[in-house]
Amino acid sequence: MGKEIYMKKTASDRLNIFLFLLPGLILFIGILIAPIFLSGYYSLFNYNAVSGEMSFIGFDNYKEMFSSNAIGFMKALGNSLLLAALSVFLQLPLSLGLALVLGKGIKGERIFLSVYFMPVLISTVVIGQLFLKIYNPSYGILNIVLEKLSIISADNHPIWLGNKNTALIACFIPTLWQYVGYHMLLMYAGVKSVPIELREAAMLDGATSGQVNRYIVLPYIKSIIKISVIFAITGSLKSFDLIYVLTNGGPLHATEVPSTIMIEMLFQRNRYGMGSAIAVMLIALCFVFALIVNKIFREED
Amino acid sequence: MKKRLLATVLAAGMVLSCVGCGGATDTASASASASESAAASVEASADAASSEESAPAASGESIDLEMWCIATESDSNRHSYEAAIADVTAAHPEINFTWEAIENQAYKTKIKAAVAADEMPDIFFTWSCAFLGDFVSAGKVYCMDEAYQGFASELPEVMLGNTTYDGKHYGVPLTMNIVGMFANMDLLAQVGYTEVPGTYEDFIACCDALKAAGIIPLGCSGKETWCVTEYLESVIEKSIGADELNDIFLGRATWNNQGVADAVDTFQKLVNDGYFDPEGIALSNDEVKANFMAGKYAFYMNGTWNCADFAANADFGSKVKVAEFPVINADKASLGMLIGGPSDTLAVAASSAHAAEAAQFTFELGKEICHYGYLDGCGLPAWTPYYDTSAINPLTQAVSEICANAKTYVLFGDTAQNADDANTYLSYVDQVYGCAIDGAGFIAGLANDIR
Repeated sequence: MGKEIYMKKTASDRLNIFLFLLPGLILFIGILIAPIFLSGYYSLFNYNAVSGEMSFIGFDNYKEMFSSNAIGFMKALGNSLLLAALSVFLQLPLSLGLALVLGKGIKGERIFLSVYFMPVLISTVVIGQLFLKIYNPSYGILNIVLEKLSIISADNHPIWLGNKNTALIACFIPTLWQYVGYHMLLMYAGVKSVPIELREAAMLDGATSGQVNRYIVLPYIKSIIKISVIFAITGSLKSFDLIYVLTNGGPLHATEVPSTIMIEMLFQRNRYGMGSAIAVMLIALCFVFALIVNKIFREED
Repeated sequence: MKKRLLATVLAAGMVLSCVGCGGATDTASASASASESAAASVEASADAASSEESAPAASGESIDLEMWCIATESDSNRHSYEAAIADVTAAHPEINFTWEAIENQAYKTKIKAAVAADEMPDIFFTWSCAFLGDFVSAGKVYCMDEAYQGFASELPEVMLGNTTYDGKHYGVPLTMNIVGMFANMDLLAQVGYTEVPGTYEDFIACCDALKAAGIIPLGCSGKETWCVTEYLESVIEKSIGADELNDIFLGRATWNNQGVADAVDTFQKLVNDGYFDPEGIALSNDEVKANFMAGKYAFYMNGTWNCADFAANADFGSKVKVAEFPVINADKASLGMLIGGPSDTLAVAASSAHAAEAAQFTFELGKEICHYGYLDGCGLPAWTPYYDTSAINPLTQAVSEICANAKTYVLFGDTAQNADDANTYLSYVDQVYGCAIDGAGFIAGLANDIR
């Protein structure tokens, strides 16, 4: 009897759980999963959504994507991977350093937090316009400062966004700068959650501040660091908005990333099949990199 | 006298331009089967729309119409749109009209996405020939033949050449523009020139003199590749002639043309000789235009829609003159071969719930935009002027003179070619401006990549 009641209750709980999850599940499938599968489907076609013409070509879009110099996907992917490397090895250490310093409870902690986080809140387009002015060859503050410091001459101002050798790094600097505060806040929350007893015990044992960070704080916030690394890499692969505003992929395709090429294929060339193939490749790459990062952190554990 | 001149310009110029841009018809006929089925579906939807929706309008119920265009706050045409919309909406209180202006480059993306998703506004701005042709082939544009009958006396049919596909009209032309060579005469005077150089040799000598005097000869936005094409296409046209260039743009001839390669090398020499502002490669067209108006460059080649802004600036308007780019190879080219034609167009979505009313409204709106645009100096009128044109600014009058002597028009390369080809073309133009490839590389690449 008791078992029957238990079984009924369990079944009822399961039904309730299912009903509670159902709306979210429908949204998740409808907004995320279904479009991914649809993109995968379209990527197998030579598809012009404007005219509606659609012919099956198998994996030809993928072959062309990797082999065509005119599309330049490999160069764009290389640019994104460079941004990912810079994010992981420059942006995240900087964020971590700030989080550790602020996590100690220094004077004006909240003000510093707000200031570092502010770029995350500002629209990317606004930041793009801001850096367009900073980089302007004639009146940009960067060239003016460099000229005052006698690093450049008045008649030879560098054209940061117009030179294919400097445009890429000039685009990456605001991209990295904007999200330092985001990662800092994630890590700061982790640092603040480290139990005070652990810190005090280590200090009583004679550990220095650096040793506390190294042996207590970092292992404690490892899961947050992992999340930050995944966000940094996938965010780099998906980067679009700042580059679109600053250079739109130019000059001479020097700052192209997969997303700018995808937009060109989809909306400028009406090649929806190729655009979908690039989208699918981006999703796959994000997924693969997330798995790799997970594996690396698991091995370290 | 001016009206007569205009009539001549309209009659002669437009006939030439429409001959030049047979691409509209060619593009459509190239995909004949698609177009036929598309046209059929458009007609079907048009009939359905007119029969279903004429009832509410006739009974006095208000209807909603939405328009997208590119007349942003900084656009030369902004005033003409605002004034025209005020006039036409006042005459049609039964229509709740809303409109949105989007920046040129972003608009191209937005309208294509909207067409693909079948979420077009009732009325939309478009460029003629291949740009509109893609939408027409897809059956997404309402056929304007019926509505046109009421305006045929004011809008000569020859003006509709660039928006006619398989003999049917799909757009309302607004103004027509060409590429003009604008010159800051104050700067030219500093090196002893009182007139815009008339020959290519003189032009080069002028640029050398300007450079020696520390004045940048040419301003061009490298960030917006269409601005580079204004120079490059002029150089190519004045080297190989308008007919050859037209044939290439319209797919009747291959890009593998030694004349084009030589012309590209000629253009690249202008870049390598330091005539262009090196900072231009990172600047938008608005920034370059502002620099020109601030006296940073002596020459600025761009669309004649700029006449409005230049003439409206009291200080600058008196300094600037407009002329035709000089002939480079007199054996093949001559003055009167121009880049441009009637391109700015309004069209109606086939999916509009009030397509018939929207078509009628669009003709009235187009007529008024043309009216105010011409008075402002945004281009030459596609519609027969019914108003006093004596106050037209001198720059636009100079453009009228140039067009009055026109022999052939070649429509802008990125408008004449279909979307994929146009972007491939722009990519190669980019590489030419950045000196990543030379003339031989340009023709070889385009001959290989354009399908």
